[in-house]
Amino acid sequence: MLGFLCGEALRDLVRAGWIALSSVLLIALSLLTLGGFWVFSTNLGGAVARWREQLRIIVYLKTEPSPAAAGALGQRIRAAGDVAQVRYVSKAEALQTLRRQLGAQAAVADTLPQNPLPASFEVTLAETASTPEATRALVERLAALPEVEEVQGGTEWMERLTQLQRLLGLVGLGVGGVLGLAAILTVTTATTLVLHARREELDIMRLVGAPEAVIRLPLLLQGIGQGLLGALLALLGLVGAYRLVRPRLEPLVTLTLGLPHTAFLSPTAVATLLVSGALLGGVGGWLAKGRA
Amino acid sequence: MIELHRVSKVFSVGPVKVPALSDVSFRIGKGEFAVLCGPSGAGKTTLLRLLYRDEVPSGGRIDVADYNVGALPRSRVPELRRAMGIVFQDVKLLPARTVYENIAFVLRVLGTPRAEITPRAFAALKAVGLSARAQAYPAQLSQGEAQRVALARAIVKEPALLLADEPTGNLDEGIASELFDLLKDIWSRGTTVLLATHQAALAERLNRRTLVFHGGRLVKDAR
Ligand SMILES: Nc1ncnc2c1ncn2[C@@H]1O[C@H](COP(=O)(O)OP(=O)(O)OP(=O)(O)O)[C@@H](O)[C@H]1O
Ligand SMILES: [Mg+2]
Repeated sequence: MLGFLCGEALRDLVRAGWIALSSVLLIALSLLTLGGFWVFSTNLGGAVARWREQLRIIVYLKTEPSPAAAGALGQRIRAAGDVAQVRYVSKAEALQTLRRQLGAQAAVADTLPQNPLPASFEVTLAETASTPEATRALVERLAALPEVEEVQGGTEWMERLTQLQRLLGLVGLGVGGVLGLAAILTVTTATTLVLHARREELDIMRLVGAPEAVIRLPLLLQGIGQGLLGALLALLGLVGAYRLVRPRLEPLVTLTLGLPHTAFLSPTAVATLLVSGALLGGVGGWLAKGRA
Repeated sequence: MIELHRVSKVFSVGPVKVPALSDVSFRIGKGEFAVLCGPSGAGKTTLLRLLYRDEVPSGGRIDVADYNVGALPRSRVPELRRAMGIVFQDVKLLPARTVYENIAFVLRVLGTPRAEITPRAFAALKAVGLSARAQAYPAQLSQGEAQRVALARAIVKEPALLLADEPTGNLDEGIASELFDLLKDIWSRGTTVLLATHQAALAERLNRRTLVFHGGRLVKDAR
């Protein structure tokens, strides 16, 4: 029975001919767009996550606290939330670091009448602060502490990057969505065509008492077939384009984004694309029944 | 097998009401062979269509086997139709499939096991004497052959009830009476047969119960 249903679905696909082909192409195009933006967004997201790991917030203090007070303040900073690590840097240690950085010119530091560097805390962010909003909130909370002179943590550029990532995702969804809608309509048209070509057969099926499922399943299957074919085509296109572009783009990406290498879609994302294709086609095929 | 109680059918064509059947009551038992006779437009096709629920009656009650046909929910209509074989007045063979495929198609959509399909399809073709034309397309058949293929398709699912609407449509008398003989064969093997025809003389030679219709009314019921 399954063989028969699939055979009928295949016959239908061939019967719908050019229209079926154009719906396959449209589905491929919409999924290609979606997948392309997805790849971009995945890599950008990777860069953002990597930077965040390395991101430190420096909390400069008004005056150098006693060791006990420093310990207590460290506790309070830790309690501010979204904090993974806190390290106290005394005035002396800061000067020490400066000396090391100056190297041969270290003697310059000795000419200073007194240590001009403030004591500070180096704060590493926790995973929970992974959104720009959470980071900014943490910075504000730390700046509100009475002992704190200033908080430095350049999060603005990262906010912009995250926003860009979101924008890319939205544009991808929007364009992919519009194309997907067009694809559904084309599948519906292709299926309606099949319905007309098969009117006599469907009549006979109903008149001899075929179960409604047997009548409708091939229509649904040929729609899903169109969708899967389109999704496969889109995946092939994506893989091909990625292979082609990667060797040229990767050095640039490493340089600008700091990513050691670029990433393709995860298996889950690939599966999602395939399922989306089947869904697009299935919905198209299913909608046509109503019109028949 | 079939019972009609005061059945009527009115078609609405725009504002015009066309009465096709009025106040029809009769009963046909299991294993009977009955002929519906009457001139063109008498309501024979309409009556058959009511039996397989292609139309619903405007009034009265129809029972076929255990089904109250008029009140049958849509979802159970396939069940009713699986119990009957139908020869349509307009034949309805699928032009893109061969004679064999036309018959096998019925078995396939009804989910018959694969191994049974070919032998049963050929048995049906043999019963109507057309095994040799299995690979022909409907367009390559004579009218009489096409009618016989339609009959083979109706009996291939071994229905308890056979409805045949003018299976001798435009055939000359000789071939028509051959087809009637075929129907009698099928009936003699236990199938209930209801045959609609306007060829009164031929119907009389069948020597079976005859229900005569005129203008949508049952005017004579003779054994
Ligand atoms: N779908 C319909 N819509 C409107 N009127 C119809 C419809 N079907 C049948 N009729 C009318 O009902 C009446 C009976 O038609 P029916 O087809 O049942 O006659 P019949 O006895 O089968 O005739 P024939 O011997 O020519 O096949 C006719 O007057 C016909 O015009
Ligand atoms: Mg008729």
